[in-house]
Amino acid sequence: MLIDCDIHVGYETIADLLPYLDAPTRELVVNSGTSGLTMPSYPWNHPTGWIRHDVYDRGDAHGANFPFVTLEALRARHLDKYAVSLGLVEPDEAAAFSVLPNAHLAARLCSAYNDWLLERWLEEEPRLRGMIVVPAQYPEAAAAEIRRVGGRDEFVGVFLPGGARIPYGNPVYDPLWEAVNELGLPVAVHTHFEGIGIAHALSAAGMPDYYIEYHTLCGSGMYGHFVSILCNGIFERFPDTRVAMVEGGLVPFVGFLWRLDTNWRACRSEIPWCKKRPSEYVWNHVRFATQPLESPDDPQQLLDAIQFLRPADTLMYASDFPHWDFDEPEQTLRQLPADWRDNVRWRNAQEFFRLPVPAAA
Amino acid sequence: MTEGDREVRVPLADAPAEGSMTMVAIKGHRIGLYRVAGRFHALADRCPHRGAPLCAGMISTPVEVAGGAVAVGPPRSIVRCPWHKWEFEIASGRCLVDSQLRVRRYAVHVDSEHVVVTLDHPSALAPA
Repeated sequence: MLIDCDIHVGYETIADLLPYLDAPTRELVVNSGTSGLTMPSYPWNHPTGWIRHDVYDRGDAHGANFPFVTLEALRARHLDKYAVSLGLVEPDEAAAFSVLPNAHLAARLCSAYNDWLLERWLEEEPRLRGMIVVPAQYPEAAAAEIRRVGGRDEFVGVFLPGGARIPYGNPVYDPLWEAVNELGLPVAVHTHFEGIGIAHALSAAGMPDYYIEYHTLCGSGMYGHFVSILCNGIFERFPDTRVAMVEGGLVPFVGFLWRLDTNWRACRSEIPWCKKRPSEYVWNHVRFATQPLESPDDPQQLLDAIQFLRPADTLMYASDFPHWDFDEPEQTLRQLPADWRDNVRWRNAQEFFRLPVPAAA
Repeated sequence: MTEGDREVRVPLADAPAEGSMTMVAIKGHRIGLYRVAGRFHALADRCPHRGAPLCAGMISTPVEVAGGAVAVGPPRSIVRCPWHKWEFEIASGRCLVDSQLRVRRYAVHVDSEHVVVTLDHPSALAPA
């Protein structure tokens, strides 16, 4: 039994979405720019490739940032190979819809993407479940999209990228939180497109020079959302809210929580709706995906560092397939104490995403 | 104000007004004498968190959520430590942000002309 909380799937080109778009948006996608609509993307190129080289034919990449990985490759190289029972599909380029300046266009692209994902991947492969892609910059439209497809069993949560114009706890997002509460769907905040499009800078220090800097700091948006969600009392006002932090690492959350708990003691009159120490909301409402698992020379240092997160109850395995920093399941689990492993391997994710328990369990 | 071995007597005319504090001392014990909702309370001038001079902190009104709305609690009923701004309920000494902490309290009573603070624990007396 293995649940993978972070598998990436993408279209080959955005033209794949044309059959799922309304006519006016098709015109925009086809005629924008020089050869059709392009998405904002990273100014840093991975020096040796974003995607694992063993999962696609390099001749097919066409210089794209996110080379197309087929369903057959996903099955052979990941689902079958590692006996993945259920895999949660997160977007690649489609995550950039939330950082487009044109929120109306973003909303229509999100709907088309979700329909494409459903038809081409989720209905084709019963081991996959989808995260709904929504236009985060347009919370009312995001709520409408959540209500449009969120009742389907193939979708088990809502995806929000780390890059954003406004942190996700801000009251402008209340329509989104109302919708996920209504449908009982968790939200996955996943690092993606920080500093790109309408999203704020990756770091207040300024623009990094290198991809390696980006990839080291890419959790910055997620940390901002994490603190924003806690300080805005989302878990008090929308008590069924569950939030997964995906691909932000683990150790930084410990430091932020310790600092936030300390600051709450001094500043709680500013956020009286936050009735408990912020960390006390985390245990019931927040889960953390394992990848990229920090890897100190002495593995015990990692276990000591994350102890505060109550990891046996809050960690969920994630691979990040097919990205270059993929974490192989057994290697990940071997780094954790034996008595955590079943929880991390599947049980925490099954409970959090309210997934069926496969017979193998 | 007169200081004895185990008590200090503050003439009622010099006692703190509602929502304020007067410092007193008994044999080296620095004590803040507060008046909240008409009652006197005496707290040690030492924050149990990091040892700050607690009574130099602002007397404040707590802000809470009540019935779903942001509201204020009992007026001027807390003291906020001057260093880290942790809040302590004056009447109980209870730290509002860490249930493990409590400020040392002293017994207070009122006789005909004085507010009397002693080194005893308040449980030795009915509330002043």
